[in-house]
Amino acid sequence: MKTVYFDNAATTYPKPPSVVKATAEAPVKYGGNPGRSGHAYSYNAAAMVYDARCAAAEMFGSSPENTVFTSNCTHSLNLAIKGIVKPHDRLVISSMEHNSVARPAYALSRAGALVDVATVGKTDEETVSNFRKLITPGTRCVVCTAASNVTGRVMPVQEIAEICRSTGVCFIVDGAQACGIIPLSLDDGMNFICTAGHKGLYGVTGTGLLISDGEYVPRTIIEGGTGATSAELEQTGFMPERLESGTLNTVGIASLKAGIDYVNSYSMEDIFDHEQSLCEIFLDGLMNTGNVTVYRNGDHFVPIVSFNIEGIPSSAVSGALSERGFALRGGLHCAPLAHKTLGTLPEGTVRFSPSVFNSESDVKRLIGEVKKSQKMDFDY
Amino acid sequence: MKYTLLAVSSITYAMKAKKLLNGMGIFCEVSKTPKNLASGCGYSVRIRDNPDYVTGILEKNGIAIKGRRTVEM
Repeated sequence: MKTVYFDNAATTYPKPPSVVKATAEAPVKYGGNPGRSGHAYSYNAAAMVYDARCAAAEMFGSSPENTVFTSNCTHSLNLAIKGIVKPHDRLVISSMEHNSVARPAYALSRAGALVDVATVGKTDEETVSNFRKLITPGTRCVVCTAASNVTGRVMPVQEIAEICRSTGVCFIVDGAQACGIIPLSLDDGMNFICTAGHKGLYGVTGTGLLISDGEYVPRTIIEGGTGATSAELEQTGFMPERLESGTLNTVGIASLKAGIDYVNSYSMEDIFDHEQSLCEIFLDGLMNTGNVTVYRNGDHFVPIVSFNIEGIPSSAVSGALSERGFALRGGLHCAPLAHKTLGTLPEGTVRFSPSVFNSESDVKRLIGEVKKSQKMDFDY
Repeated sequence: MKYTLLAVSSITYAMKAKKLLNGMGIFCEVSKTPKNLASGCGYSVRIRDNPDYVTGILEKNGIAIKGRRTVEM
């Protein structure tokens, strides 16, 4: 039985054939260490890395030198948050954050930083108002997800960016669930966009991006060889090398370049419309299914639907669906803060997240299995 | 025949310089920076002509020149 994959918010699968090809060819085509030597192998790898840097920079409204390759979105967020916030600074995060933001914030609070959590309200206006109340003259930094990884809710980052710009506060956006699906750019006013390369950008796992407008140069949390200023013990001061210590993931970067090219070969609007239409079909199906709660308060969403079947833990539902050939994620999705906000602790929710590779018939078969699962006896 | 090496901060800036100059029809290559031109293990762009003009273009585009040397071959 072939499993239909609906866990694209965790990582997209399958990858486009062009990404698979680029990933397979990279160790042969780009075998040298980029930016370390003067021979052709090193140079060819560096040229590919630079092309990928330019492609990512163009997509997010940045420059190549302010586009940093990382291992994943969590890595990017840690570099940005811990690079900007110092002990005794004030930091504001939203109540829908993933642990990739909540845990660095908690770690900083243990070191003396003051962390405020802005409640995400029923409307964008309410959410923006809650942020505005917490952003004070002492606030150093605001971090907010562009779209919740639990409900898909799109956050009003442009409005929050306006507040941050007008008050001189650094604004970091977690774009993990938005990038490649809805337009997100530094032109929206944020200082940093952190994202994964392996989700909506269709690269392989182990890839991420830290996109900056260059206004803030983060302190480093990792130091080492950068291929530049090597005679000095002090870490390289300029971007992107400052934040790219150690050998880059050349194979992953080649995959990410192919993934960005793949997204660019469509319009982002077409990708969004296709995935959102699948969510609408799924939502319609759930509406006609008794005892199902859907967590979808808000104005705009990326293609994610979170739900629960009354009386059955999300892990049991996702487990039963897995046995029937459907890959969905149950539980907390590494976002207990978001589940606390939704009132879905401790069991969490079942999350449906399609990609460009899913079809309407896949979704309709899934709806049938969700309906059947209501009548099953669960052993949990 | 002679060429000029313009040392820049890193491989990223060298690639940026190459793309910029090639886009303007100015031939250049990227090479490692010799130790006696600039410290560290950085990169340079190697050009054939008009070093003052090219230096101006690069600096105008935010690419700092860390060292410069013209070599007679």
